[in-house]
Amino acid sequence: MSNKAARNLFIFGSLFFFVIFLGLTVDTMNQIDGRAPEVTKEVDAGKMVWQKYDCIGCHTILGNGSYFAPDMTKVVERKPAGYLKQFLMDPRAVKPTAAMPKLGLTSREADDLVAFLTWISKIDTNGWPPKPMLAAAAGVGGKEQTRGQQVYQSQGCSNCHNINGIGGTSGPELTRVGANGKDAAWHVKHLKEPRSVVPNSAMPPYAALSNDDLKSLAAYLVTLK
Amino acid sequence: MTVKYQSQKIAQYFYTFAVILFLVQVLVGIIAAIQFIRPDIFILNFNTIRTLHINALVVWLLAGMMGATYYVVPEESETEVWNYPLALFQFWATVVAITLVVLGYIWMGLDPQANKLVLGTQLLNEGREYIEAPRWADGLIVISVLLFLFNMFMTMFKTKKWTGIQGVLLFGLVFLALMYLPGMFYSKNMIKDQFWWWWVIHLWVEGSWEVIAGALLAFMLMKTIGAKREVLEKWMYIEVGLVLFTGILGTGHHYYFIGTPKYWHWIGGFFSSLEPVPLLLMVWDAFRTTREARNVTNKPGLFYTVAHAIFNFVGAGLWGIIHTLPQVNKWTHGTQITTAHGHLAFYGAYVLLVISMIYVTLPSIRGVKDYNPARAYLAFWWMTISMVFIVLTITGAGMVQVYMERLMGLDYVAVKTTYNLWFWILRAIFGVGFLVGVSIFVYDFFKLGREPAKQKA
Repeated sequence: MSNKAARNLFIFGSLFFFVIFLGLTVDTMNQIDGRAPEVTKEVDAGKMVWQKYDCIGCHTILGNGSYFAPDMTKVVERKPAGYLKQFLMDPRAVKPTAAMPKLGLTSREADDLVAFLTWISKIDTNGWPPKPMLAAAAGVGGKEQTRGQQVYQSQGCSNCHNINGIGGTSGPELTRVGANGKDAAWHVKHLKEPRSVVPNSAMPPYAALSNDDLKSLAAYLVTLK
Repeated sequence: MTVKYQSQKIAQYFYTFAVILFLVQVLVGIIAAIQFIRPDIFILNFNTIRTLHINALVVWLLAGMMGATYYVVPEESETEVWNYPLALFQFWATVVAITLVVLGYIWMGLDPQANKLVLGTQLLNEGREYIEAPRWADGLIVISVLLFLFNMFMTMFKTKKWTGIQGVLLFGLVFLALMYLPGMFYSKNMIKDQFWWWWVIHLWVEGSWEVIAGALLAFMLMKTIGAKREVLEKWMYIEVGLVLFTGILGTGHHYYFIGTPKYWHWIGGFFSSLEPVPLLLMVWDAFRTTREARNVTNKPGLFYTVAHAIFNFVGAGLWGIIHTLPQVNKWTHGTQITTAHGHLAFYGAYVLLVISMIYVTLPSIRGVKDYNPARAYLAFWWMTISMVFIVLTITGAGMVQVYMERLMGLDYVAVKTTYNLWFWILRAIFGVGFLVGVSIFVYDFFKLGREPAKQKA
């Protein structure tokens, strides 16, 4: 191959692939609007808040970012909106061990940011992030579950709390929660309205649960010692 | 040995700025590494430190490439730079603009509320990874690059000696400048934001920058070994051609999971899997040419050139291909595996590239024929061994993270603060090793040619 031929191959070959890339870009742009809900004013304002505080300097979103703090793509599916808002405004008031500093978000900014994160969670990401393979099996071990365990799972308690290392770290660990001297009645009261016994709690109330479910869950919690 | 054209010496200004920023980058990198263990250790939060770490990297590499271009184009065109004062002005204007941006980041880090919206855009930090520079700074950067490109084009027009090396180099730089533009507008839709953001990031580091690397590799092999231009330029065309044939559509490996259509799994997976091919070709090219070596006058220059080719392939190629397929990336996307790839790829492909160019061209800029190469080698081994271990520790952390978080479903924070703690500690220690290497290199940069050449080691 002569140098001239090699040069022409480089120039026209690159141009060829760039044109294909442009075509695909146009097609993708046309499809994007159909792959996520409409961008409302709050979502747009929330994106501005996301950028203002350089959130991506620690977090990832859609898997892109700084890998220093949790991915935010599906965070609203794991954490209640009320918790998120309180956390965003003052992380350590909610979770004393949080690494995130208090950045000074206003109440309005926190609402907008939660709207933005809610919008993000509804994007069709081709199934990402994948559901953990082993998590479904963890903690069950082939034994039949008690009613309390079932409620614990169906309500997604492990999104924030963890038992024996399985679960989230946003709320207090529950591995030995039965050893803290609180009885089942206290737990029922706490589950119905957390702030009635723990001032400033960021946990949402579960008053909508039936009395039976609340009692079963409380009974399960006091066995954790 | 001295420069043929006095104006080539402008390269030294850019090199000096580059090596100082390199030192800054590594210093803040160590702070960031410690913040993985103790987030509250420093007055600035991690996000500001990390912004400084990656922006210093991009700017010093660009400054190094600009300096290299100011050296290469007059040499290839056989004439002085078209307008030397303009080049000098462009240098100082760039330094001032970058300093302002950095002060803005620090200010924002100390008081996030200072990052106000002005005319619909953030005043100090745009909050978009790698292109955090605010809109007003984007404008200044574009002006600086346009002045630079204009000066280089005019230099080439003076003699119209169109060589392949300078042609490809300038093509790469124009492509680089154009690919800055997709990052300069606001999208309300985060998917579109990320889509165009990858045009900048991917088409820089896996597109235009690799084209520049291909051209500079050919130039350095010609200078250090005296290899034939004909042969070098032919392989250069093939290499940079393959870089773009695979790299442009390879952008698709960033479009798997961000809300873009599924056909990118096929396109991105196929083309990005081929991206290591041109990088392997560059390694072969470097070895083939080196075997013909007769009289190598500048051994450290050649040493770094070959090392650049090898680590470009290992870091950008191998560490990239392990997680580029959508079936794998589904599990590794957004984990420390990406961080590991990022570190070795930037080190191999671009840090070593700029350092090679410095060792190849600096002796003639300083007007010395010979210099003591001991520090150049010492710096290389300190930096390279440390970086390899930094990358291995982060890769290990990434594997633990993928297994525990993605497969088992453990919480991100639990994995990071408990199970990966030892990896962070080791990484910080190797980071200090890297700092030692960089310090030796920077010291050597300032001493080279300014002390009597000692007996050869």
